[in-house]
Amino acid sequence: MTGTRSKSFVLWAIVWFDLILLSLPTIIIIGASFTTGDIVQFPPEGFSLKWYGKLWLLDDFKAAFFRTLYVSLICTAVSIPAGTLAAIGLARYRIHFQTSLQVYLLLPFTIPLVVSGLGMMIFFGDIRILGQLWPVGISLCIINLPFMIWAVSASVNGLDYQLENAAANCGAPPLQGFLTVTLPGVMPGVITGALLMFILAFNEFLVSLFLTDARTVTLPVSIYNSIRSVITPDLAAVSVVYIVIAFIAVLLLDKLVGLELFLKSK
Amino acid sequence: MENSPPLVELIDVSKRFGRFIAVDNANFSLAKGSVLTILGPSGCGKTTLLRMIAGFESPTSGEIRINGEPVQAVPPYRRSIGMVFQNLALFPHMTAGENVTYPLKMRRFPPQDIPELVERYLGIVRLTGMKDRRIHELSGGQQQRVAIARALSFNPDLLLLDEPLSALDKKLREEMQLEFRRIQQKIGVTTINVTHDQREALVMSDEIIVMADGAIQQSADPVSLYRHPSNMFVASFIGLTSLVKGTVVQTEGTTVEFNVDSTILCGNAGSRFEVGQSVEGAIRAEQVRIHPEQTRPEEMDNVLEGVVSEQIFEGDRMVYQVQCPSLGSTPIFVFDHDPTHHVLHRKGDSVVLSWNVRDLLVYPCR
Ligand SMILES: Nc1ncnc2c1ncn2[C@@H]1O[C@H](COP(=O)(O)OP(=O)(O)OP(=O)(O)O)[C@@H](O)[C@H]1O
Ligand SMILES: [Mg+2]
Repeated sequence: MTGTRSKSFVLWAIVWFDLILLSLPTIIIIGASFTTGDIVQFPPEGFSLKWYGKLWLLDDFKAAFFRTLYVSLICTAVSIPAGTLAAIGLARYRIHFQTSLQVYLLLPFTIPLVVSGLGMMIFFGDIRILGQLWPVGISLCIINLPFMIWAVSASVNGLDYQLENAAANCGAPPLQGFLTVTLPGVMPGVITGALLMFILAFNEFLVSLFLTDARTVTLPVSIYNSIRSVITPDLAAVSVVYIVIAFIAVLLLDKLVGLELFLKSK
Repeated sequence: MENSPPLVELIDVSKRFGRFIAVDNANFSLAKGSVLTILGPSGCGKTTLLRMIAGFESPTSGEIRINGEPVQAVPPYRRSIGMVFQNLALFPHMTAGENVTYPLKMRRFPPQDIPELVERYLGIVRLTGMKDRRIHELSGGQQQRVAIARALSFNPDLLLLDEPLSALDKKLREEMQLEFRRIQQKIGVTTINVTHDQREALVMSDEIIVMADGAIQQSADPVSLYRHPSNMFVASFIGLTSLVKGTVVQTEGTTVEFNVDSTILCGNAGSRFEVGQSVEGAIRAEQVRIHPEQTRPEEMDNVLEGVVSEQIFEGDRMVYQVQCPSLGSTPIFVFDHDPTHHVLHRKGDSVVLSWNVRDLLVYPCR
């Protein structure tokens, strides 16, 4: 009796320790953003929202924020059809060079981001689109696509392949069957993948660093740049905005992929 | 007037996967309105046969005709065939009603007729009121009935059932067999049913095809299939059958005498045998009589002494497994269908077994 009790105590202690360790940076940043003072410190000095107010006045950050949003949306919008079709294709159809193709699609993942970033910078420079914003979105889509493919693959593999035959048997031509049966079936994976892609793009730093300049700088890069000058609590406030967005994404995920419950019949 | 062509006709249909022959030269035809059951052990090619008829797979050689027309070039969604899949394959993101609606929409039924048809078929499978349930909110038997309604709702020429009952428990399965028989008689749709449950085959069908290793072994109505199995495989696959191996010592008309271990048995031969040929005899458990040791059964042709080695009570009947020293190690199975009024034989009791010549079917050794 006491044995199990002390065991569960140890387990709980470990869980709490981990939780605190994981959330400590977040807690410190959130705390620091509410300071009344002029330097980043924890515990904060007093409580105020003045840095948040100031944030709104900082046009640089604001512009960078909207650019990041734009880039992330492009990345997500491109990854949804690309990742979904790739995942379904790889899982369902006997494709020539299937393994090579799989490896090829996972390639962005195995190459260090620095290398990808540099490569893309050179390539974009060559075809004269470096300095524009949309190619950044495409690049982020490319380097993160394996996540999308994995998310959708999980759904495709969980889907009864017989369903497509059932749709055909009900009189649905292939495209119609795909749209009415296969696609709704993999929707949880698509939603998960899309939110993941959005968050990853929203947070991406290294590749964006290569591909952006002063006019197209995204939020993570912009934060990095200002750290190099002077660290003020408005940075903490920006970080909190980040955390809030990530949090919203997780909530959305939970709410939308709660759909998954409906999609599981067995 | 000419006879109308059979609804389904298979002519020398074979299917190979690589070098493996899943269906070997299948030939049969099915008249409109009848129920055909394909019966066979796991892996014998039943599903493959159905998939070819439904159009998901094309035969390696041979031809399938539906309504007299070859269907080689007709894709599955243009065939008027409703199928209930082995695992049902209901659309999980739709309600029961939407599942039944789906084929009607895809086959472009007039939109104003659809709700009524859906109600009608849900009624036929006794699911009225369950229309808005999600699939996972239905019991196994109810899901099964949704699948039947979905396959029937567009009034297909042909209904294919791929062991849809196999996942259900025995009681529900037997209920569904009768239920299905009722639905089939009400609608009169031509049906091919696949199963490896011999009881289901006998209950549900007008005609039964027995398959083994991709090849059709026999095709007959249930009664003749049971009474006159055309080969050893069919005889042993249907019913509880005891098998004895021996060598022919004498033949006379349809009666054949053959030597088993240290005794001679008399059996009914389906074909001609030579003296000295190896044969197998098959006797069904319900055709063997079992008596206490002292009695001498009269008018029975084969009489053997034995010892009860196993006694299994199945409620409505008692199954005895009896070892007869004169047959060597081969056991004989016996049913007693009225165990409450008969003498019970316990394990280890000496008994006398007997049966008629005509019930012991003799086949050449495989
Ligand atoms: N796509 C395929 N590729 C290779 N072999 C296959 C394929 N489909 C089926 N087979 C083989 O063909 C044989 C017949 O399979 P089938 O599914 O028709 O059996 P079945 O009679 O329906 O069995 P069960 O009662 O277990 O469902 C099996 O041995 C199986 O391994
Ligand atoms: Mg099968």
